[in-house]
Amino acid sequence: MSNLAREFGFMLRSRSALMALALLAICASAAVALGLASVARDRAAIDRMIAGQATEERALAAFVKDAGSGAYYGFQPTWDAPSDLAFAALGSRDIAPAMLRVRALALEAQIYENEAANPELALPGRFDLAFVVIYLAPLVLIALLHDLWSGEREAGRYHALAAMPGANRRLWSARVLVRLGGVLAALLLPFAVGALIAGTAPLRALGFAGLIGLVALLWTAIILIVARRGSRSAVHAASLAAIWFALTLVAPAGANLAINAAVPVPDGAALARENREYVHAGWDRPRDQTMRDFLKLYPQLAPGAAIPPTFHWKWYFAFQHLGDRHVAQQSQAYRDGIARRAELARAAGWLLPPAGLAQAMTALARTDIAAQLDYQMRIRAYHQRLREFFYDYLFSEKPFGPDDLADVPRFDPAIDS
Amino acid sequence: MSNPVLVIDQLVVERGGRRIVDGLSLTLAGGEIYALLGGNGAGKSTTLFAILGFLARSGGGLTIGGQDPATAIEAVRAQIAYLPENVALYDHLTARENVDYLLKIADCRRSRAEIEAAFLSVGLAAPAWEQRAGSFSKGMRQKTAIALAMLRDTPLLLLDEPTSGLDPAASADFHALLETLAARGVAVLMVTHDLLGAADTADRIGLISGGRIASEWSAQTSEPRFDLNALHDGFARVR
Amino acid sequence: MNRALTIAGAELRLMLRSRLALVGIATLLLLSAIAAVTSATQMAAAAEMRAEAQAATDAQFKAQPDRHPHRMVHYGTYALRPVGPLAAFDPGVDAFTGTLLFLEGHRQNSATFGAARESSDLVRFGQLTPAFVLQTLAPLLLVFLGFASIARERERGSLRALAAYGAGAWSILVGKALALGVAAALAMAPAFAALGWAAVQQPGEAGIAALTALSYGGYLLVWVLVITAVSALAASAQGALVTLIAAWAIVVVLVPRAAAAWVGVAEPLPSRVDTEFAIAADLRRIGDSHNPNDPHFAAFKAKLLKRYGVTRVEDLPFNYRGVLAQEGERLTSQLFKDYAARAAAIQNAQTETLTTLGIISPALAVRRASMTGAATDLGTHLAFLAAAEAYRYAMVQKLNGLQASAVASADDAARSKDPIADRRTRISADFWKTIPDFDFSAPSPGERAGAMAMPLAVLALWVALAIGLFAFARRRLERAGL
Repeated sequence: MSNLAREFGFMLRSRSALMALALLAICASAAVALGLASVARDRAAIDRMIAGQATEERALAAFVKDAGSGAYYGFQPTWDAPSDLAFAALGSRDIAPAMLRVRALALEAQIYENEAANPELALPGRFDLAFVVIYLAPLVLIALLHDLWSGEREAGRYHALAAMPGANRRLWSARVLVRLGGVLAALLLPFAVGALIAGTAPLRALGFAGLIGLVALLWTAIILIVARRGSRSAVHAASLAAIWFALTLVAPAGANLAINAAVPVPDGAALARENREYVHAGWDRPRDQTMRDFLKLYPQLAPGAAIPPTFHWKWYFAFQHLGDRHVAQQSQAYRDGIARRAELARAAGWLLPPAGLAQAMTALARTDIAAQLDYQMRIRAYHQRLREFFYDYLFSEKPFGPDDLADVPRFDPAIDS
Repeated sequence: MSNPVLVIDQLVVERGGRRIVDGLSLTLAGGEIYALLGGNGAGKSTTLFAILGFLARSGGGLTIGGQDPATAIEAVRAQIAYLPENVALYDHLTARENVDYLLKIADCRRSRAEIEAAFLSVGLAAPAWEQRAGSFSKGMRQKTAIALAMLRDTPLLLLDEPTSGLDPAASADFHALLETLAARGVAVLMVTHDLLGAADTADRIGLISGGRIASEWSAQTSEPRFDLNALHDGFARVR
Repeated sequence: MNRALTIAGAELRLMLRSRLALVGIATLLLLSAIAAVTSATQMAAAAEMRAEAQAATDAQFKAQPDRHPHRMVHYGTYALRPVGPLAAFDPGVDAFTGTLLFLEGHRQNSATFGAARESSDLVRFGQLTPAFVLQTLAPLLLVFLGFASIARERERGSLRALAAYGAGAWSILVGKALALGVAAALAMAPAFAALGWAAVQQPGEAGIAALTALSYGGYLLVWVLVITAVSALAASAQGALVTLIAAWAIVVVLVPRAAAAWVGVAEPLPSRVDTEFAIAADLRRIGDSHNPNDPHFAAFKAKLLKRYGVTRVEDLPFNYRGVLAQEGERLTSQLFKDYAARAAAIQNAQTETLTTLGIISPALAVRRASMTGAATDLGTHLAFLAAAEAYRYAMVQKLNGLQASAVASADDAARSKDPIADRRTRISADFWKTIPDFDFSAPSPGERAGAMAMPLAVLALWVALAIGLFAFARRRLERAGL
């Protein structure tokens, strides 16, 4: 213990070490604060949407005549609320929408909508605790530890120190522990405060703290292996910075390039057009055929499926849904392509620990691509409930009025999965 | 004797508010070898740096070939060849490239033949010319640097601890080289700890203490050139 | 100057003979070559795909059969944002915005399908493009190559030897900076070649390419000067390296992200749903076409009846429904335009703040100049959105006009109940061919050059600061007797 205390005092006297740790702590605190603010903004936007929905429904109640118009004009909110850990790893919540209002029309024309966002803010990447941990903490560790041995050698003290009994334990281990501890404290204290404010589930918070620890340990190990070699301090620092640069900047960007080249994703524009073509051709397609095709999917609706020769909502919603079915395979292939890319990226994470750990953080915080795809699946599940609710009214010719608006199924993040 | 090459008169140099050199006087003529002896911190290197113009003096007079480094630094440096303790050659350059490079920096043109002649005269054999200085022993590095000094043909050669780290044979070689240079009329000022080596080569030995020359001995014309006991006593006193 | 050249020559020779430096330069050469080639092929493929998709959607629109014009309003069309002229060099925000916009009546959709949402989470680590190589990787390589240039000589004592041989502080600093500049130019060659190639293929872009090269040249010059100066000022090579890596991490990695995060929180943008609700509320206030008693539409109708001296809309000389649709579209589109302008103003202010923050980080300034030049910035995207909205409005109003003039009022009224009347409301497919194709061209080179002025000025300020530091290093060296 006294060894640790002595080395702690030693570190406190090094201005550059203190500055590096202070910078890290400031960055971590700022990242946590901005992360909390960003999550609060997301939450507030979702709350505004849910509150505003009441106004929209009051307006709809004024002119809704039947189930068809209720379905046509009735947008329903869906949302992907940030998790209690999202503040620490914001992930791709800035480029994928966290809110989407859908209606019972063809979903393929609705589900790809984007949130209003300034793309120039997304371009440089997120500034969150995960960024501070993955990018900045290793650099601070490198600054603190790269000259552990070479610095003493250059000052001519190395042999004198190494000759002391128990130098390994008393000196080097204590020195490494104190500096690693300083870095961990600079990261974990702001995180702990953030987790308390966000009310993160203890196990999840612990898991994230474990990932932070893993990043720090990994880099400490890399640094010590390099620092053990007998080169000059400057050579150690340069080699370590080069390793960091390769693992954190170049290799992930290269892997992204390779993965995107290896796994093609179907052209979204073609998918959207194909969906529109099929939906709009529905107006001109023989009506019987439309209804037959639709009843193959919903045989239980057959009893009420007769339609007049003029416009009827039954028919309209039938060809809307058939439009979705028409591109279902393409749409599945589109999702599969993205999922496959994400899967390969996770595999690459085993070779590129910084990328792997960053992905583990966003996965834990449920802010990764997988979480986005999951949200889309929940929208799809909800959309089905919504459609079928209206099919029931339309095909049984049950009257639908303003009072029935309250019975329209609501999106529920818990059950639509 | 020719005109003095180096004239130092009551030189005062301060570093960080402390007087490191304090009233040092010394005159050195062409062909003379002067050894400046002293303990650590006595002001030996500071004196060299003042001569080179790396440090400004705060008092006294200092001229090299009649030029004052305070007013004509370029002209002063053009007259000095300087060998720092670790003989600052570039490890990644060969002996020839080092000489080429530093001659260019010194704005001094020499032919290939002249360079090779200089190498030979300092005892650097042909295979070493194209070897990188990184693989040289200190003796070979010094030979290269002396060759460079010969090529530049400066009237004054400044040496900082030239024999530290040399084995006795290399040290003897080196002193022989200095004598060759002195015979060509170069004034040599070396700063050293090596009392025996200095006694072997120098024409005069100055003992520096408290920033000034505390004692000075001149070589006798007959062996032994210096009274080693007196040197030892003097050296012991100032330590 | 001769001495500076000699010193630069020796420093370059050192780089050539140092395995580490060679590996570094070779790696960057390779990376920037890979970036140039892959980025060029990717953007060329994207450009082709979008052009084909645009042609296909235009052809589909024209190939629609005889229809009621309002069905065409809902059928709509797509606008694809073309790839920027220099996007192969700097794709900018291209991946982070949707590229496909569905244009239909009554609604304003968002741009969908962007590359970033189709990629794995790795996309947030940065994209390997020539611009990324120049902005991010190149400065760090220069740090590795140059941190020791002067500090090393000081540690080994050769700095004093150089001085003793007559080399002054200025020639040493200039010589070292020159060597570093040559190494920089060499390693960046593929990236600049990519820029040059783009300029050759599009001669109209040559001026912009030159300005872009100028901004990167200035940016790298700042790094070369700062690295050399720090190497001269630091107490040791190690100190120089740690200082420079810290500076790089702050300027290139930390500040751009932190600035973006801060700007996003400080100047928040309303969500898409916020805007939809606000527009719906405004519409209910100024004119709700669903409400038969809506005062705005009641007044609109009364005015029309009065002007034509009739008492019933059926007696108007045109199909009232088409005119009503035009009035409804006019109201909603005005709101779309107003709200889009508000959102654009907020986003432009955010971006403006980022440009101003370029005073803290030249990486922000060079990125801004580069994206603006390449027409892959926010401004171009907003211009695309505005152009698409204008096109949508013109198309929809033209179709509504056709409903008013070419569809008989009585048929239109009866069509949902009478299949025969419904058939008569279908007008000739030839009308669809009269709708012009969507065409968007990026802001002209002149406009972009104008927009580059501010970031270029910030970069010029940085060059001046770097020269100041360089001069300070010279004074310090001279004071040390060099």
